[in-house]
Amino acid sequence: MKRSHVRTLIFLALVLGWGAFARNPYHLQLLAVIGVHTLLALGLNLLMGFAGQISLGHAAFYGIGAYASGVLTVHLGWSPWVAGPAALALAAAVALVVGLPTLRLTGYYLGMGTLGFGMIVYVLFREWSGLTGGASGLVGIPPLCLGPIELSSGRNGFWLIWLVVLANFLLCERLIDSRMGRALRAIHDSERAAAAVGVDTARLKVMVFVLSAVMAALAGFLYAHMMSFISPSSFDFMVSIRVVTMVVIGGMASVWGALFGAALLTMLPEWLHVFADYEMMVYGLILMVVMIFLPQGLTRGVMDLYERWQRSLDRSRPSAQS
Amino acid sequence: MNVGNGPSTDPAPLLKAEGLSKAFGGVQALYDVSFAVDAGSVQAVIGPNGAGKTTLFNLITGIFPPDQGRILFAGDPIEGMAVHRLVARGITRTFQNVELFANMSVLENVLVGQHVCLRTGLWGALGRWPRVRKEETEALARARELLKFVGLDDVARDRSGDLPFGWQRLVEIARALAARPRLLLLDEPAAGLNPVETASLGELLRRIRAQGITLLLVEHDMSLVMDISDSILVLNQGRKLAEGTPREIQKSSAVTKAYLGAAG
Repeated sequence: MKRSHVRTLIFLALVLGWGAFARNPYHLQLLAVIGVHTLLALGLNLLMGFAGQISLGHAAFYGIGAYASGVLTVHLGWSPWVAGPAALALAAAVALVVGLPTLRLTGYYLGMGTLGFGMIVYVLFREWSGLTGGASGLVGIPPLCLGPIELSSGRNGFWLIWLVVLANFLLCERLIDSRMGRALRAIHDSERAAAAVGVDTARLKVMVFVLSAVMAALAGFLYAHMMSFISPSSFDFMVSIRVVTMVVIGGMASVWGALFGAALLTMLPEWLHVFADYEMMVYGLILMVVMIFLPQGLTRGVMDLYERWQRSLDRSRPSAQS
Repeated sequence: MNVGNGPSTDPAPLLKAEGLSKAFGGVQALYDVSFAVDAGSVQAVIGPNGAGKTTLFNLITGIFPPDQGRILFAGDPIEGMAVHRLVARGITRTFQNVELFANMSVLENVLVGQHVCLRTGLWGALGRWPRVRKEETEALARARELLKFVGLDDVARDRSGDLPFGWQRLVEIARALAARPRLLLLDEPAAGLNPVETASLGELLRRIRAQGITLLLVEHDMSLVMDISDSILVLNQGRKLAEGTPREIQKSSAVTKAYLGAAG
């Protein structure tokens, strides 16, 4: 088995173990939220870490997934199982419209485009109060049910969300270790050379952008039905930045890093209540420190330090074995 | 091993350029250039700096379309076609300064080179059906063979950006061969190589040609050009100055004049 698989399994065992034994509903919900954030970070990591494109409006797709499913179930009485796929399809269509013009250009046009897009979507959530409930939020979103079993809150919610995370995790690993994933990484290294070996770079970038938007919408869908209440502030610019920070901290181009970044940045505010007013500053500081000292991300950086330490141990006893 | 499509028996020119012109702003980079490359041959393009060699190269590889003129590949017009479509048709290239996927391994670079030969799409990647696994295994074996062909199978797992420059160039050639090209364009393949490396490059290019792959190279190293080319096209100030065998070009007084700037 590959080392990356071992690491992943250890992490998942920890999370699942905690979930199975946690009595405290607050802990269960915290873990479920970590799962939702992991989905967001996984999706953005595909785009940022592997294709080298940045999205500063990922909270918008997260919000589209949550609000579309919320509005369809609350106002139209749809079953969440129908509203969910519809919400994902809507997010995919919107991503296509945003991505097509911006991704044909090289450079950071997607970053600028998604920044504006995120702002617009946030304003829509807040001002279209007839549909979204405005600033006071959308209440009474039904839970996900399978017959008489409620799936989206408490311990069941935790299991459902982490099952979805695990599935997405495996799918991402497969994607990256395939012809398409190699082409994505190639685009990241040199777009010119990627085109020169026959990769349709524009099409592939749009494809991965849509995929990452759908993953964000899936996270939003799960979040909305777990919380039964959503408000615009859960999907504002700050959330987009938080997801970017998760990816950077976890280490770009590392699926495992997305889990780590999401876990750390979800728990950090819980630990650092004192800094609530300075959240933005704390994130900025973390981003700066990581980018300067551990540009490969915290996970990769710590692993590198560990390897260097091992090597220095080897060197200090040259006589032992070979 | 066979890296190409087998020796070609087609006597018609594989690549034909007719009246190519290209201007950038007020500068006429290329003016009414016509030439043909026979299938299975080695064609060199030489000329002093600013002669239009790079412009010609970029027109053929689809970086930008010509203002005027036509480019025919195996009889089909290809001018203005997107780069990735040209690769699918069988035209690949290497870059003057070597553009590898530096963070990927040597093997992975050659795997990416096979992009147009493989079929796995998004769903195949996610589903990883038996067909996809089989394709992946075959792609790996072929990448190994190609690395053996250029003599780099020992460093297959190394990060390509860490290799010495001369080896990086070989990786790039292996990557370009991975797409099973009919025409391989090499932009100054000997640039930055020492004489020993240049000699072994010449030998490699001859072996590639023996696989039936047509070569078109822009090159400054005259010993390499004279050594391996069947035909040489000389450009000067955007116009065709001469065309012929290495022997004819060496004797041409017009070429000597353009290169040495001698009067009269």
